[in-house]
Amino acid sequence: MATLDDLKQAIISGDREQAKEVTRKALGEGIAAKTIVVDGIAAAMEVVGEKFRANEFFVPELLIAQRAMKEALSLMSGESVDHIGTVVIGTVKGDLHDIGKNLVAAMLEGAGVKVVDLGVDVSPERFVAAAKDNSAGLIAMSALLTTTMGSMRDTVQALSDGGLRESVKVIIGGAPVTQSYADEIQAHGYAPDAASAVEKAKALLG
Amino acid sequence: MRANQLANQSVQFRLLSQDQLEELCQAALRLLEYTGLDVHNEEARGLLSKEGAWVDGARVRLPSPMVMEALARAPRSFTVFSREGDPDKDLHIAPGRFYYGPGPSCSGFMDPRTGAVRRYTRADARAVATVCDALPSIDFVESLGSIGDIPYELADTYEFAEMIACTGKPIVAWSYAEAGCREIHRMALAVAGGEEAFLRRPNYVFYCEPLSPLISTTEAIDKVIYCARHRVPLIFTPCVIGGATGPATMAAVIAQAAAESWLGLVLGQLLRPGTPFCMGAVVLTMDMNQMVAAYGSPELSLLQAGLTELAHYVGLPVWTTGGCTDSKGVDEQAALEGALSVLFAGLSGGDLCHDVGYIESGTTGSLQQLVMMDEVISHVKRIIRGVEVTPETTAVEVIDRVGPGGNFLADDHTLSHFKDEFWFPKLMDRRRREGWEVAGKTRMVDRAQERLVEILDSHRPAPLTSAAQQNIAAILAEADARFEAGQS
Repeated sequence: MATLDDLKQAIISGDREQAKEVTRKALGEGIAAKTIVVDGIAAAMEVVGEKFRANEFFVPELLIAQRAMKEALSLMSGESVDHIGTVVIGTVKGDLHDIGKNLVAAMLEGAGVKVVDLGVDVSPERFVAAAKDNSAGLIAMSALLTTTMGSMRDTVQALSDGGLRESVKVIIGGAPVTQSYADEIQAHGYAPDAASAVEKAKALLG
Repeated sequence: MRANQLANQSVQFRLLSQDQLEELCQAALRLLEYTGLDVHNEEARGLLSKEGAWVDGARVRLPSPMVMEALARAPRSFTVFSREGDPDKDLHIAPGRFYYGPGPSCSGFMDPRTGAVRRYTRADARAVATVCDALPSIDFVESLGSIGDIPYELADTYEFAEMIACTGKPIVAWSYAEAGCREIHRMALAVAGGEEAFLRRPNYVFYCEPLSPLISTTEAIDKVIYCARHRVPLIFTPCVIGGATGPATMAAVIAQAAAESWLGLVLGQLLRPGTPFCMGAVVLTMDMNQMVAAYGSPELSLLQAGLTELAHYVGLPVWTTGGCTDSKGVDEQAALEGALSVLFAGLSGGDLCHDVGYIESGTTGSLQQLVMMDEVISHVKRIIRGVEVTPETTAVEVIDRVGPGGNFLADDHTLSHFKDEFWFPKLMDRRRREGWEVAGKTRMVDRAQERLVEILDSHRPAPLTSAAQQNIAAILAEADARFEAGQS
């Protein structure tokens, strides 16, 4: 549809005014929120992801596309949109770094996931509580400092202690984090960058 | 004899003009005065406020006279003394002097014998210190890893204990928080022979970091306060990554880094005027594809040189970065990237250039890279020494004597000068092909590896006195107790 293609282009080029305008028009014409998300937003983020992988887009272009996407989404917060799942995300306790975590959060949103972003310096208890309160299927944790990674292990333990090991999966990432560390702490997934994080998260949400 | 002659004593390198440096200085001062930074430390905010800073919640703004005063108080020159009392191993921080060393706390470590990347252990801290001790062009010591075979809360203290036993070269230490900082200081005092001895002849430097952009964390400031009170030479240096934690333009990265570093300067000088202080930063760019800090980039060389010139312009010594790479192995990329930043560090004359031996964008430490860079540093130093122009070196009479068709190989002049004028490689190979083939067709990395193993197998650093050893063991036992108490 012409309007949704305009939305797609607006998001790809990071034009948030246009993205908002076209979304408003589309809603006004009676197009369902779900259709807008799938054919406009998710379709746009798919192209953005491809261009990023092809080295045509860099992280700044990714970020402005996400910003435009958020403008569009904000007009639909009242509407019912089928999310493919809920993810609780945050940077672990003792760590204030959040650029990567913000990137993953925004990309997850663009992929149709409901994201509960707890911010930085998040204790294991807060992760688990938020997962419970939001019926989340996945906890995503980020750390930049080798010294704070241990908190990821504690969170996995807290989930076990709370009997949530089966219902809440865990994915981890961040510069010092590795697949072998993820295996060591029995996380369900690890991703080295935002794009693959989204793929892994979608798979884990099932 | 000549009248009115100026001679270049070294290669002359100039990135920025005086006017440009003044503008960068003003930009940093403006950031501190009008934007300020968040200082997450009540004691520091109280002290700064009392001395004239504007404090609004966590936000601290420093009127520029406060900064100018601190710049005037901090010394341009100071010495960090080798624990062995060997003057060749002392660090004389002073105009024109430049030193190199490795970096700390990588999450991975390249096995010194197998080349496999693995976790770092206590034994590795000893190995790194030993190798630094042996390498002629490495001047100070950092660990190239994070000890992973003990509880991580103790890694900082144990790392210092292991390293100081294995090297007479000054260590640049770090810690998570004040507890480790205190334990390290006590160990250094034990080695120096007490507080009085340390104050007269400080034997280590302490390094800590604020968070970019514009945040000084509680722990970082606790350490600054501790070090200033005990007059420990201090490095307070952010890591400003252009495009991510700083703007995407080089000049802005330099200005922001200076502002962030000067917060530590002002606080330190208020607590104990005259405490030796190095400004600095790891200044580089964010790779916009891979989201890594680009340790091998040309921007790193430029930014470090620019920051060095700004530091020297305001009269401070500077902590810089070089000899590092984004490569995953010690290969052509590692050699190129490392060599270029080593060259620029030397040309700009940054006082202490660290991270030599960092590979994989700073996530892995490599002694193979360190050994290769040791050779590069030596090569670069010969370049920087420049060309001496005197009647003796211009040697017109010599050329005249040898005359057309002669040769200089056995000439007296050659014999007098060649050992001093020429640089002699140890790892860079110049054999002719046949000789090189017979000797095993080695590549540079093979020869670096060989040299590394040779050092590990044969170099014996001077041991600590038994008194110092006992003291250190006692301090480690107390650190263990601190950890146990924290666990319960």
